[in-house]
Amino acid sequence: MINYMKSEYYRLLRKKGLHLTGIICFLLIASAAGVLYFTAQSDPNFRYGTSTFFYSNVIASGLLIIIIGLLYNIALTGKDRYLIKQAISFGISRRIIFWSKLILTLSYFLFICIVGICLMILLGDNLLTHEHHAIRHFLMASVNMIPIVLSGFFLVHTLKMLKVGEIFIIIIVSIIFGFLGDLLHLLLRPFTALDELYKYAPDTMLNDNLMSFVNDTPELGFQYWIVGLVISGVSLLIGAKLFAKQNID
Amino acid sequence: MDAIIQTFQLTKKYKDETIIKPLDFSLKKGEICALIGKNGAGKSTFFKILAGQQMPSSGEIQLFGKSGKEIETAKRRMAFMVETPAFFPDFTAVQNLEYFRIQRGIVDKKRMYEVLEIVGLAHEKKKRFNDYSMGMKQRLGIALCLLSSPDCLVLDEPINGLDVEGIMEIRKLLRKLNQENQITILISSHILTELDLLATRFVFIKNGVIVDDLSRELLEEKSRKQILLTVDDSAKTVQLLERAYADIQFKVLPNQEITIQNYVERSGEINRLLVENGVMVKEFSIKVMNLEEYFLGLVEEDTHD
Repeated sequence: MINYMKSEYYRLLRKKGLHLTGIICFLLIASAAGVLYFTAQSDPNFRYGTSTFFYSNVIASGLLIIIIGLLYNIALTGKDRYLIKQAISFGISRRIIFWSKLILTLSYFLFICIVGICLMILLGDNLLTHEHHAIRHFLMASVNMIPIVLSGFFLVHTLKMLKVGEIFIIIIVSIIFGFLGDLLHLLLRPFTALDELYKYAPDTMLNDNLMSFVNDTPELGFQYWIVGLVISGVSLLIGAKLFAKQNID
Repeated sequence: MDAIIQTFQLTKKYKDETIIKPLDFSLKKGEICALIGKNGAGKSTFFKILAGQQMPSSGEIQLFGKSGKEIETAKRRMAFMVETPAFFPDFTAVQNLEYFRIQRGIVDKKRMYEVLEIVGLAHEKKKRFNDYSMGMKQRLGIALCLLSSPDCLVLDEPINGLDVEGIMEIRKLLRKLNQENQITILISSHILTELDLLATRFVFIKNGVIVDDLSRELLEEKSRKQILLTVDDSAKTVQLLERAYADIQFKVLPNQEITIQNYVERSGEINRLLVENGVMVKEFSIKVMNLEEYFLGLVEEDTHD
């Protein structure tokens, strides 16, 4: 497994597009901070030049972050997938391939997320109106987001390894992490036993997390981790099982 | 343990279609075995199953006597090139080989340059794979096969896209690897004349079934000779032949041509018979079937069945 991971790491480091994506993300964060800063400087009535508003943009972008995660996952599961046949014919198991690609792309994605969070805190704390507890609240809301975003990343990985097209993946992810709660609320309303289920849909939970953050009442919630773990576990178990039997051409 | 590859009742089904019917195959150490069949005969599917790219529907595979989970370790002594070789298009030859060198745990970096030298790509190592010609891609595929110094090569259409010179070089290389390094080779190609020059054993596959399996010696023996005649009167010739030899087997072809499949050893006698009875023999020759003709004969024969 170590040799396979080392070779994939060699490949990952030479993916210029991937590094560029990271740089673009950081530039967008910096630009957003810059726009808020300069607007607040020029307009005394501008209410959004605060660090809380700046951070809330990230807390509200769960689905977008998952789609950015797709770009990182594609780095090793997109066109490069064609080379899997060489590894398999050398006796490297499908299990090793599945998990190695996940570990490497996830590590890189997490690294970018951590750098992004640090950059946001740095910019928010220094350029924008500092608010009491803003950083603590931002970190708490981010911790709540982690399991949901990661479950999205795992779902994306599974779908990519099972040769599902990118457009179709975006549609699936958008439904699960964008509209599922509303959909369940609408469909299950007549059933009293199930009408509360929508509260545990990923999109509802991401919205709740955002509302708590903007209302200055964020709390660390175990329900985020339970939902995240369920989606992650189901995705990865099904993915690993199906990939182990898949024909590689 | 002499058998490098062994399959027992191997089958592959896609929905309702059976691509490989219960197939028993064995490749012995030191052989150069040619797997011959038309498109869709099941050659590539068989190779893919051996490589682990596809799962068999039933049956068992043994590589170097190992089966089950141990097969993954045994595969490290083998190298497969099935259909087109896969590489990163934006990487150079060296970068691509470096990726596989790391993956296969090969410590010696010099090995990459050695294999590029062997396949004649030493001067093209900085070119991106995307810019390679078909022949160069095939050569790099062979270089990758040699990278881990395997004991057995499984090559599906390795000379596809190569020019005449390239084909000759690869033939020499494979023969050298077999004779000097004792590397066992299982190969398929549509260029049967090449296989004829290279292989020591010939396995014919049709509709997922091995229809013939014979050594070079046996093939030469079975590639029956036949007499080819061009005469001025084929009707009279047929009459004379049937009268003289009751069980003679022949075919009348257009342009007054006749082929005789038996009595080849009595060719002189047949010639005299025709001449003495006033038949003008314009051409008289003895032909040996080549691999291509043998294959076509086998396929046609089987189709009639």
